Amino acid sequence: MKKILFFAFLMVASVTLFAQETLEKDKHYAKLPAIDIQTLDGQIFNTSNIQNDGKPIIISLWATWCKPCIAELTAIADEYEDWVEETGVKLYAISIDDAKTSARVAPFVNGRGWEYTVLLDVNSDFKRAMNVNDVPYLCILNGNGEIVWQHTSYAPGGEEEVFEIIKKMVGK
Amino acid sequence: MRKHLSLIISVILLFSLSSVQGQHQLGNSRISGDFGFNGMYYMPDSLIGAEKVDSKVRANAFINLLYSNGGFSAGVRYEYYQFPLIDFEKIQYQGQGVRYFFADYKNKFIQVTAGNFYEQFGNGLALRAYEDRQLGVDNSLLGARVKVTPYKGITIKGVWGIERLNFESYLGRRDFVRGLDGEVSLGELIPKMQEKGFTANIGASFVSKFEKADEAINATLYPGTDSTCNGEIPADKIPQNTPIWATRLSFGYKGFRLDGEYAQKMQDPNVSNDFIYKKGDALFLSATYSMKGFGVAASFIRSDNMDFRSQRMVRQNTWLCINNIPAINRQYSYQLISNYSFASQPNSQIGAQLQINYKIPKKTKLGGKYGTDLTFNYSRFHNTDQQPVALATELGTVRGTEGYTSSFFKFGPDLLYQDVGLEISHRFTKAWKWILAYNYITYNLEILQGHNGMMRGHLVASDLQYKVTPKHALRLELQHLYTKDDEGSHIYGMLEYSISPKWFISVGDDWNYGNPDPTHRLHYFNISGAFVWNTTRIALNFGKTKEGILCIGGVCRAVPASYGVGLSITTSF
Repeated sequence: MKKILFFAFLMVASVTLFAQETLEKDKHYAKLPAIDIQTLDGQIFNTSNIQNDGKPIIISLWATWCKPCIAELTAIADEYEDWVEETGVKLYAISIDDAKTSARVAPFVNGRGWEYTVLLDVNSDFKRAMNVNDVPYLCILNGNGEIVWQHTSYAPGGEEEVFEIIKKMVGK
Repeated sequence: MRKHLSLIISVILLFSLSSVQGQHQLGNSRISGDFGFNGMYYMPDSLIGAEKVDSKVRANAFINLLYSNGGFSAGVRYEYYQFPLIDFEKIQYQGQGVRYFFADYKNKFIQVTAGNFYEQFGNGLALRAYEDRQLGVDNSLLGARVKVTPYKGITIKGVWGIERLNFESYLGRRDFVRGLDGEVSLGELIPKMQEKGFTANIGASFVSKFEKADEAINATLYPGTDSTCNGEIPADKIPQNTPIWATRLSFGYKGFRLDGEYAQKMQDPNVSNDFIYKKGDALFLSATYSMKGFGVAASFIRSDNMDFRSQRMVRQNTWLCINNIPAINRQYSYQLISNYSFASQPNSQIGAQLQINYKIPKKTKLGGKYGTDLTFNYSRFHNTDQQPVALATELGTVRGTEGYTSSFFKFGPDLLYQDVGLEISHRFTKAWKWILAYNYITYNLEILQGHNGMMRGHLVASDLQYKVTPKHALRLELQHLYTKDDEGSHIYGMLEYSISPKWFISVGDDWNYGNPDPTHRLHYFNISGAFVWNTTRIALNFGKTKEGILCIGGVCRAVPASYGVGLSITTSF
């Protein structure tokens, strides 16, 4: 019985998804879900307020205990000044650190001299709404706030591709 | 074979449907989801203690689907853990079905959720329903939640629910959790404050657990630390309701920030505290200061008799935990000390942690072209001071009494964990990057793992990265743990070659060369490869895993020794 239920579930799920796919001819990109997270001051911040005056946005989901996340954000930090100058891009680094380590996010970020806008997702509500399995996760939003590119994990040099996409987006 | 077949078919189907890439948005409605599969083919290896398992092919798989349209959203997760990885079988995270589904509506004023939900009040001292899939932790509540924002800067939350326990049925449960939490942001209420750069929040929570008590507890069935038992605890002496309250405050001005939360738990005789009637309490404090290039964070925690669960007879793993007392030590990802990660001890811990981050500026003699990042860390945790009450001494047992008294700020006699560490991270040129770390760790094996004695070890870890071309990189990790305790010294090496952003390949070996027993000076090798395409990651690995514990953020579970081939697939769509 359980097996039958399981397959029935799969059928329904696949039909829903494929139906969705065929209707998708004129592609609409998804927007960010509107979820309440926090600023470093502990104030509520709704993710629908993530914006950059019509210029591209990078969102990175990371944590202070995640080595590849730090490697990625450090690599971008080395180039960030140039990126902003050339494209006007803005990076939101959303930490999924929870109560154990969230208080150390601000000293960590400042201590490293990162110029990003840092937000806290302490019970992974935003991570869940974005269907993110693992960090690091990075996505790029166009000027209309639509998610046009997503990526998970980080290999050295991955930041180059991110910059290529953003440059293309602003027509450079 | 049939069960393998059904497993394989399910996986292929799940993956094929979830590999439908792209966003699914029609007008305002959107469907999205994610899928995860973690499978392994087990082989026996008597040397490392990997036993022959009854099903050689095992896997954990799940799929999440989310639908949203404006303020409305709904979601469902199907989990297939019928033949789970052996470490999940060990914690009885075994079964299949839908154990997470919800419908949610929100606007500017109100948010209502029905079904399963995750929630956290303050720092989680009173309530934290959360998940950690890698650890097999899922304490979601099944019920309803209402969140109201009557005025900008004021948030009130109310919850009612039955806590999830693995794949056990919710039917016939005799326990539930309800809670209320309020938070006021003074900065938002008083604009003048914010203009001057001050922020301040105050909050309070009240959570209460109900569990029917209509039968006497035969305490002799639950041998605790005390072997002489005084038999039964009659039903009318067992509180059916256990409340916990907490109050918190945070304050920020420019680079400074202070946070504090205090929680108290009322009478809660349970199997983890040996059925005593003492109140439990916890205090969490944190102070941080940072400016560009410099940050310092200090925190303190004390918790005593704060293990708080939906059922008083449960103490294994994180089953039915209602709250979460944070382990505030620094979290490491170094392979060789993962076995010596501190796990939070809600019933008895007091300790502090200090971390300093400093960046030697760019274009200086020491900083070089890119600057140098330094991280210093110190933490120390003891058990709490506990003096048995006179009555407990007289009866020769603590059950049914207040148990003990505790002097609040006094450190107990046993050191649980200490860590002193320094990490230096420097980029020499565009191609070369190096991270070097040293840690001295003291870990109480007896209290934290039930083995004998203390582990005192020196760890040196190096992570050197060389970019062959802008997209091709080589990374070499070397670690050495020097210790005369427990299983002795280890040396570890790992070489990874990556082609960004799609390909990773690595080989590694952990050699326990210093094991006091020469026949156990074993190698634990690992070969792995991964392919990443946007949000899809497929990884294959072959190797041996040492018996030990896996800890993520101060929560740990046992990992049995294993040998075999693993395949992991995750994607979101």
